[in-house]
Amino acid sequence: MSRFGRARLPRGEGPWPWLAAGSVALSLLMFSGLLLLLAVRGLGHFWPAPLSLVALEDGRLLAGQVVREERLPGGAGRERLYLTANRDLDGAIWSWVAVDEIAEESHPRDLVVLERTRWGSFHGRLLALEDAAGRVEGEAAWQALQERLGELEALRRERAHLRDRVVVPLVRRLERGADAALAAELGAANARIRQLQARMGGTRLLLESVDGRRLEQPLEQVLRAWRPNAMSAPRKLAAWGHGVWRFLSEGPRAANTAGGVWPAIFGTVLMVLLMSVVVTPFGVLAGIYLNEVAHQGRFTRLVRIAVRNLAGVPSIVYGVFGLGVFVYGIGGTLDEWFFADQLPSPTFGTGGLLWASLTLALLTLPVVIVATEEGLARVPDHQREGALALGATRVEMLTRVVLPMTAPAMLTGVILAVARAAGEVAPLMLVGVAKLAPQVPVDGEFPFLHLEQKFMHLGYHIYDVAFHGGDVEAALPLVYATALLLVLVILVLNLTAIFLRHHLRARHGTVPRR
Amino acid sequence: MTEPLPPRPEPRRQWSRRLRDRLATLLITAGGLGVVAAVLAIGVFLALEVAPLFLAAEASLGWGELWREYWQPGTLPGETPAYGMLPLAWGTLKAAFWALLFAIPLALGAAIHSALYMPPRLRSRLKPTLEMMEAMPGVVVGFVAGLVLAPWVERHLAGALALALVLPAGMLLAGMAWTRLPPGLRRRLLPGWAGLWLMPWLALLATLSLWLSPVLEGLLFNGDLRHWLAARFGLDYASRNALIVGLAMGFAVIPGIYALAEDALTGVPASLGEGAQALGATRWQSLWKVVLPAAAPGVFSAVMIGAGRAVGETMIVLMASGNTALMTLSPLEGMRSMAATIAIELPEAVPGGVHYRLLFLAALALFAFTFLVNTLAELVRARLRRRYRRLEAAT
Repeated sequence: MSRFGRARLPRGEGPWPWLAAGSVALSLLMFSGLLLLLAVRGLGHFWPAPLSLVALEDGRLLAGQVVREERLPGGAGRERLYLTANRDLDGAIWSWVAVDEIAEESHPRDLVVLERTRWGSFHGRLLALEDAAGRVEGEAAWQALQERLGELEALRRERAHLRDRVVVPLVRRLERGADAALAAELGAANARIRQLQARMGGTRLLLESVDGRRLEQPLEQVLRAWRPNAMSAPRKLAAWGHGVWRFLSEGPRAANTAGGVWPAIFGTVLMVLLMSVVVTPFGVLAGIYLNEVAHQGRFTRLVRIAVRNLAGVPSIVYGVFGLGVFVYGIGGTLDEWFFADQLPSPTFGTGGLLWASLTLALLTLPVVIVATEEGLARVPDHQREGALALGATRVEMLTRVVLPMTAPAMLTGVILAVARAAGEVAPLMLVGVAKLAPQVPVDGEFPFLHLEQKFMHLGYHIYDVAFHGGDVEAALPLVYATALLLVLVILVLNLTAIFLRHHLRARHGTVPRR
Repeated sequence: MTEPLPPRPEPRRQWSRRLRDRLATLLITAGGLGVVAAVLAIGVFLALEVAPLFLAAEASLGWGELWREYWQPGTLPGETPAYGMLPLAWGTLKAAFWALLFAIPLALGAAIHSALYMPPRLRSRLKPTLEMMEAMPGVVVGFVAGLVLAPWVERHLAGALALALVLPAGMLLAGMAWTRLPPGLRRRLLPGWAGLWLMPWLALLATLSLWLSPVLEGLLFNGDLRHWLAARFGLDYASRNALIVGLAMGFAVIPGIYALAEDALTGVPASLGEGAQALGATRWQSLWKVVLPAAAPGVFSAVMIGAGRAVGETMIVLMASGNTALMTLSPLEGMRSMAATIAIELPEAVPGGVHYRLLFLAALALFAFTFLVNTLAELVRARLRRRYRRLEAAT
């Protein structure tokens, strides 16, 4: 009975099909594993992790967040890595602790984490807050600290605004020519900044690490304070959202190992926009030429193959080309003609926003050309013939009939080009990213968009922080977050392109290949 | 009586329309040709920059110099520069070799499975998914490989190597178990969907084998495989090595090879495979004897294009290989590829100097190699498409 039942099912076909099926599973597993890793580590960084108070058997005490646990070599138990912060007290921010040596681990609610501009974070207890008005202790000190931090934040924002919008432009204008009125204005602004600075100072925190060492901390160096063990889940969620927002909107601090990535986001977007402004008309023009105007002979076929193959040429080669032609060639000449007074320090003769966008435009040109051509090939010939038969000239036929039908395909091409350009780092290393450029290349100063400036880029930021930072372990969470951001942007762009293309196929059918 | 014709447009308007058409066509032609020429100029420009290296008297370099086994561009003071490109070429090929060794079986397996066994709806979902995998930026893959995977593999070498045995064995085991399942359950777990339902099983196996591997490592290799390898075979272990690069770059290359190979396999006229199956062949037999030979050129060109990508990939090698210009065969040691060398050294090289031109030579080599490989692959694919059309016409 059972043998007949089996016979009706698909037959077993030996071991090979299972290996083939397994390779699909394995590829998908690796991909989802990578995405999961980035998502968990990237987003987890902003979650206020609980702070453990660890009592060791030899009597030492430490307060830290568990980072990971590992097997000791030789199978002799396990050890745990704690982020203990307090670089100014301990000289290091990490502690490895053997799990066997832990006598007790607790989570007291009064443990405080301070995020500071110097020395990194602080883990410990808040004893008191002192200022000119007096001294508050205990729970009242915590309340006072929260209030003061809010005030500080407002003061800082005002100071940054003054510096960027008033002082910096004034200094630039003064550099070009001295002017008494301007100098007075600058003096007033500087006095205002000094006044703000004075209002920020004056308050000190009295802190104590868990093993009893005391520390006086000027409040102006403290950015944020929280007590992770006393926070409820909604509060933590709010803090998490706030952390994500700060990551997206602030500039980097502490040699890129802390703070946010706003200048990198801005630089990436600006570069990609400039690139698409260049690549779209030229790519579309070349696509139309190859498909509609050129004589479809052997030569056009060869050119088409060559263009397609340029999509497979390594990106670093485009970078080399950009460096040789744009930066040293065109940029060097421009410098000699227009900026000779500033030589030998180069203006356009070094990597910059313009050259990076042009290089990436060249790199993504084949993508747009191929997509445009596919879109044009999808338009049935009778549409063209109909238009021509009604007396339209070729250009009228193209602009009124064919191109409107091809527009979504071109859009797909541009989106794919943007996705490719956003993730490309190697050529940028040659033609214009900067490790740190907190000033974004757009401001109120003529010509508003500074094409010759270097800019920050998300992808290069990942490479730089991960490989040129001092303490990789400390920078790692930020690298994860940046990588997640970059991947999300690229995946969303690709998904858009895929949906557009799917929609197109559904409407026009698949394209016959030539 | 015929109806009267509509009035002809005035001759002057007609004339200006003609002119506009001519002008616009001219513009398109000029723009198109210009773009094509600019894009094709890359190779010419690189060659022009490299030429003085061998022609001009002052900056010239003998051919022999290039074949030395040391790459020391003399960036440190007091160091005599040695410009042997051999280690760089070696590193490039070594990285590509390990990447392809990892990627080809997986990509072709996936292509075969999705072309032959998968229901079309699932396939139309899988393709974009793998396309997104291809879009993963190299810098992210390189970061994960260099800073996460490399230290992890260094600590769990035995477990990582065990995976290479356990996972294929697990796939086969799943296949054996499937044939013994009760029919009801087998109808639920269709082989066409195996790509999905094998995932949790493989994940479980991987976790198990990683969990058990320290025990095995203790029994077989005295508790530390790296020590054992060093003592037994004299193999040094570098944290960022060819295996890591192969794994990471393989990950990046799989989707490209998959997409092209799958195209080639689905392009084979269905009548061929159906004929074989009607004569009693299983799907696998018809694949092996009929479909695969017909699609072989396409599969070959897919592999070629994958090789081109692997040779030119910069960020992954830069971040995961350690960048030591060694010439060793060992997969446990690092290497330095041409692309990575360009990325590191070109910003500091003096324009017009020997070092600068040599890096251009490396770029030219990369350009020529990938361009040739891709053109070859494209020609093979074009011929294949013609062959399919003939086959379809014949049946």
